[in-house]
Amino acid sequence: MAALPSLWLWLGLLAGAGWAPAAHAVSLEIRSALSTPALQANDKAYPESGQQVPVSLPDEWARSRPGSSGPIWYRVQFQPLTDLEPDELMALFIEHVCSSADVYLNGQLVHSSGRLTEPLINNCNHPQLVTLPAGLIKAGGNRIDIKLAGYPLAEVGSRQRAGALSALQVGPQSELAQRHAGLTAVQVWAPQAVSATLLLMGGFMFVLGFINRRESHLAYFGALSVGWALFDSRLWLRGVPVLQLGHSAIEFLLCAMLGFITWAAVQFLLRYARKRHRAVDVGLPVQSALLAVSLVLAGKAGLHDLAAVWYVLLALEVAAAAVWHLHHQRHARSVWLMAGLLSTVILAGGIEFAAQWTGARPLAAHLAQLAVPVIFVVVGLRLVQQHGWALYRAEQGKAQLELRVREATSEIERNFRQLAELRVEQVTERERKRIAADLHDDLGAKLLTIVHTSDNERISTLAREALEEMRLSVRGLTGRPVRLADALGDWRAEVVSRLAQAGIEGDWEAPEDLPQTLSARAYVQTTRILREATSNIIKHSGADHCSVSASLTDGDFHLVVQDNGHGISAEVDGRLDRGHGLASMKNRAKQLQGQCLVESGPGYGTVIRLTLPLDRAIEGA
Amino acid sequence: MKTILLLEDLPEIRVWLRKLVLEVFPGATISESARVHDAIELVAAVKFDLALIDLGLPDGSGVDVVTRLRDMQPEAQSVVVTIHDDDEHLFPALQAGAFGYILKEQARELITEQLQRISQGEPPLSPSIARRVMAYFSAKAKPQPNLNAMPNVSLTDRESEVLLRVAKGYTLPEIGVQLGLSRHTIADYVKQIYRKLNVSSRAEAALEAQRLGLFR
Repeated sequence: MAALPSLWLWLGLLAGAGWAPAAHAVSLEIRSALSTPALQANDKAYPESGQQVPVSLPDEWARSRPGSSGPIWYRVQFQPLTDLEPDELMALFIEHVCSSADVYLNGQLVHSSGRLTEPLINNCNHPQLVTLPAGLIKAGGNRIDIKLAGYPLAEVGSRQRAGALSALQVGPQSELAQRHAGLTAVQVWAPQAVSATLLLMGGFMFVLGFINRRESHLAYFGALSVGWALFDSRLWLRGVPVLQLGHSAIEFLLCAMLGFITWAAVQFLLRYARKRHRAVDVGLPVQSALLAVSLVLAGKAGLHDLAAVWYVLLALEVAAAAVWHLHHQRHARSVWLMAGLLSTVILAGGIEFAAQWTGARPLAAHLAQLAVPVIFVVVGLRLVQQHGWALYRAEQGKAQLELRVREATSEIERNFRQLAELRVEQVTERERKRIAADLHDDLGAKLLTIVHTSDNERISTLAREALEEMRLSVRGLTGRPVRLADALGDWRAEVVSRLAQAGIEGDWEAPEDLPQTLSARAYVQTTRILREATSNIIKHSGADHCSVSASLTDGDFHLVVQDNGHGISAEVDGRLDRGHGLASMKNRAKQLQGQCLVESGPGYGTVIRLTLPLDRAIEGA
Repeated sequence: MKTILLLEDLPEIRVWLRKLVLEVFPGATISESARVHDAIELVAAVKFDLALIDLGLPDGSGVDVVTRLRDMQPEAQSVVVTIHDDDEHLFPALQAGAFGYILKEQARELITEQLQRISQGEPPLSPSIARRVMAYFSAKAKPQPNLNAMPNVSLTDRESEVLLRVAKGYTLPEIGVQLGLSRHTIADYVKQIYRKLNVSSRAEAALEAQRLGLFR
């Protein structure tokens, strides 16, 4: 969009260069001449014997001698300029000469714009500046003879390229050179520059669009640009240097090129609006082919008339596509830009049609010719900009997507891990329950039978103990953490009621409402230790009083069981260890990373100190 | 002369229990059964004073028999005799209307004593069962929809006090001393707690059935 102001500035400069010399008064404008057809194509002098016809300049063959292909001789007379500065050269300036001419001053050849035989050099868009050598200029009167070769209107696609000679200007060389340079800039150099730009940009965009099929409008625009760049070569290309194509072949190619350009333009306008029409996809190539075939059939004599019909048709198609595009895109943000550019193109087309119709070729027509490729360059830049933005956004989107995919992946992995853990937990839990049920139903029932059917008291007791062990183990398998307060309640109920049944006075001290928890295993092991200790007191100690105290210090759980019995003597300890289960009590404490100390001596009673680290007991050591 | 139902699948244990029951209740008429199905048929046919019911049976759970007995013979006392000492197995039986429980592997004298106590209206209550009962009633105390349809069964302060002390590990005689009450009164509280647990559970079950549309 930033290109727009600079575009106008540039056009203004070009226009200024073109207009500046028009204000000069010194030069002499010659608007009438004598003309006569050449006797032979290779005449080297004005045929004095021929029929002299006065003509007014500019002389368009299409009007003055339709069908003629020359060469035609023109003769003008002029008086040398009197107000020339010393050392100033005189020059002849011909704004428009089509196709090519030789210039003679007083019978001497002073300038040739190119070959006058087929194929003619095309100078139609090239203004001619002829320096008039001072030595040849006579004080009395001078004559300039111009031998012009050109093509009849019927054989060319555009009136611009039909045989014609503009008015002549004679004046100071410096002034006319300036004017010549200005017009050449507008009519030759600028189109050359724009064509080169368009060719390069168009090729680039075509490749871009061709690779990325979703951006097919870029490919069509590239094709349009390249096509137009080639088409614009008519403005500055004087002859095809290598191929030696005949004139009619070049005209045919130029006209046929318009079919291709229309194809690309209409498709671009559709695709840019994200639309595809099957009929258009097929119709446009067919039309291009039809155009080419019809031109061949018409032959060189019918070229101009047929081409004129085609121009109107193609122009209408493009205009319709432009209107459709703008209507379809009327809600788009940058529609005003496209609207401005498209209407400029349509305006330029209108000017071109007017120029064709009237035969006049004012500066505006040249500028209009120039405006179209310039607008293409602007649109091209705009498209590249959009493409760049889209690319940038796509990159950003991709980066975001990658981020999201990474996040989602880690989320899924996390969930999966949790799920797997949960499943393992569930399976483990189910298995534990099954084992527990089996143990109860089978092992439990058998042990129970032994307990109640054995005649041997010792075996009964052992079976009962085994049953208790089994139940504790099962609870350890299936258990959840137990609140320390609940555990103390259970232990108290068991110890105190057992001691009471044995006639031993029990004394229990424990803090209340402890929030800590014990792992199921720690609960089970502690229950066994306590049960063993209670059994020992009942069976072996001979005590009549027992105190149990529980306390909590620095994350350690302490349980002290003290009796006033006769204690365990050293030798008895060693021998009766199994019966007392002291080793298994210590072993169980060790499994919980705690310790179980037994202090005893004959006559003192026994003190059992159990210490468990609570945090490990919670973890389920 | 008592009529007693004995539901137990292990033959040796059944024989042993029968002997034990006859020692406690001499001259009692004992109907034996090894399966839930047979026991339910017996319940329909015979009027019992006492039922000793095992929980894990080959064709189902003894809880069904407890329920059936509660419905058909409310005055009969159901006692769960089981190898499971954990409240997860015992609590449903108590909710269904069991009046206490006896752990099978206990020594013969202990079971004898417990049976006598139960028949005298002194059911046992362990700390873990007491905690379970407390949790049950405190959950019920929270406002619930549709509560109007339920009989307002809640524990008295004294009953709650007894429960709390049992949960802390105090024995019933100790609690009697602490509260300055007779052992008999404490036993009455425990009986009342069992009864309320059953009534409330039945009401809850009925409400649940209604909610599920079983009564419509």
